[in-house]
Order: sequence, then structure tokens, then C-alpha cells
Amino acid sequence: MSDPNLFKVTSRLSEQVDRPGGMTAQIAMQRVNHEMSAEEHRSREAVGESLTLLETLCREQTGGMDAVYDAATAVIDVAGLFDERVLCDAAYSLCELTDRLRTQDKVDWSAVAVHVEALRLIYSVDPRNAAQFRPVVDGLWKVTDKYKEPSEEAPAAE
Amino acid sequence: MSTFGLPPEMRINLERTRLLLCDDNEQALSVESAMFRGFGMHRQYKASSAKEAMDIIKSREVDLIVMDCGMPDMDGYDFVKWLRTQGPGDAAYIPAILMTGHAARSLVEKSRDCGANFVISKPFTPQVLLQRVYWVAKDERQFVRTAGYVGPDRRVRNLGPPPGMRGRRSTDLSLKVGAAKDPNMEQFEIDSMFKPQKVIL
Repeated sequence: MSDPNLFKVTSRLSEQVDRPGGMTAQIAMQRVNHEMSAEEHRSREAVGESLTLLETLCREQTGGMDAVYDAATAVIDVAGLFDERVLCDAAYSLCELTDRLRTQDKVDWSAVAVHVEALRLIYSVDPRNAAQFRPVVDGLWKVTDKYKEPSEEAPAAE
Repeated sequence: MSTFGLPPEMRINLERTRLLLCDDNEQALSVESAMFRGFGMHRQYKASSAKEAMDIIKSREVDLIVMDCGMPDMDGYDFVKWLRTQGPGDAAYIPAILMTGHAARSLVEKSRDCGANFVISKPFTPQVLLQRVYWVAKDERQFVRTAGYVGPDRRVRNLGPPPGMRGRRSTDLSLKVGAAKDPNMEQFEIDSMFKPQKVIL
């Protein structure tokens, strides 16, 4: 096997960030808030569309776990940019559930449906009040952990 | 604790930075673009697939790549691997940040081996994203080229197990500090360790 070749790279980005001008982090955040507020409504609609797709998949039990996984990641893709932690945690649990199910070649639509109903419930409230649903998300993880593989169990204490 | 990833008064100049943003989720791409505009990055190339991103890399100068991991056809990991191994000229070393929603089992190794500067998990705040951009800009790690990996050096200093945890390595030291074997050093001995000495060669 050949030896690793180590070398120094200076990126243009590293030269740009320290140039005079620019803005403070505080001003950058004010500008980001302004820019993102224009995206908030459409983003919420996009998350709603993903939830509708998940509900359809559950009702018709079509598409398999891959389709559910993709729709759940679409929730995180958008809601994750607005730091909607409770909604994202619920969607993450659904991703984890479907990833475990497909790895084990299993299907459990009732476990998926519980997640989708919880996602709709969390989505229905103002994101600033979503923390009240933290115990619901904890419950979702208990459902997901039913499919934990033996290799994922914590090693026994020595 | 500061609510900012970076100190609020810290200046950062991204006005000239040419950003390549890639996400197959149209709305996510739109939000990410807005976020980077807020950072002052107005020179943006947007791509909805890795294939489009490859075309941009081949034809434009780009200073930073921010890309979603999960995309159909070619995902973000494979794109960065292509960039590092087959990217044209110096483009192979463009800083790359990947964004991920969920880390699927089948992709854990790809994530580790693709050669990205950072993989950032959603959900995140704009503060954290700006901090990661700054970290990438200030990243002083060397690049490594081996048969199986091209990217920033992944080796990290081993600072031992986290507080309160038993180490798993045979070389991990005990957290307990034993009794001193030698007498305490005199103050002049401590001072002399820090004081520059004149050396006659």
C-alpha cells in the first residue's frame, strides 16, 4: 500500500472571510431572519404536503418503507432549516423506524401510522408551542426501539 | 451563553464568496439560498441535482459548496468523493459542507469516507451554519491523499474518554490523579520553564 500524501491547501474562502468589510455575526443574523421570514409560509406548506403524502401512503399502504422514509426526510429537509426540533425529532424517529424495518426486511404500517398521526398533531400547533409534545415524541421512540437490532444494544457493563 | 454560534461582534466577509448550493428539495434549496443571502453571499449557483452541480464545478469558479446528502441518482457523499478524486484542477479542494436529515445505516461509512469538511445535521440554526462556514474557512487541517480517501485529515487529537467515562482503549489513562512522587517545584523553576533563554550557538 502506498504512503499517504499530506499537503497544505489554502482555500480562497479562507482569504475572503478576513477581508475588510463584511458584517458582524449579529447583523448577519438579523438579515437572515428577514430573508427567512419570507420563506416561512411556503416552507410550512411544503411540510404540510409531505405530511399529506405520508397520510396517503399509510392509508393505501403503498410504496413500502422506502417511500415513507423519503417523505419523512422531506419533513426534516425543510423543517430542519427552521430549527423545528420537536417536529424533526418525530420525523427522525419515523426515518429511524423505516430504516430499521427495511434493513430487517419487515413492514409495520401501524407503527408508521402512529408516527404520522403524531407528526400531524405537532404540525397543527404553532412551532413555538411544540415543546408540549416532547412526551409524545418520547413515546414514538419507544415504538421505534422495538425494532432495535441486537448490535445496537448498549454493551453490558464490565 | 451566547445565542450566536460566533461572537455577535465578530466580523465575517462573504461578499465575494461564490457559493454552490445543491438540494433536490426545491423549498429547502430556496430557504438555504435565503439563509446564505443573509450571510452576505449573493453570488450563488443553485443546483437541484449532483449532476447539475458537477456541470457547474466544471465551468465556474466556486469557493464553497453546501449540499444536501440525500439526493436521488447521486447523493452528496458520492458527489464530494467525485470532487476530491476527479474534480478538475484545484476545484478538487473546494471546501464542502454536507447537510443531512437522517443518517441511514447504509450511508454511515460513505459519510465518513467521502472527504467533506463537515457534515451538519438538521435541524440547525443559521447561527450554527455560519459558525461552520467560518470553521471551514479557518480549517488548518492538511489534505490527505491515499488509495481509499482524499480529503481533510481525519485524525484528531486523542483527549481521552469523556469525563466520567471509562476509556475503551488500552492506552487510555486513568482519570484518577495519584499521589505526587516528587516534591513541589520551586517558583523559579516554574518561571524558568516559561522564560525565553538566550542561546549562544
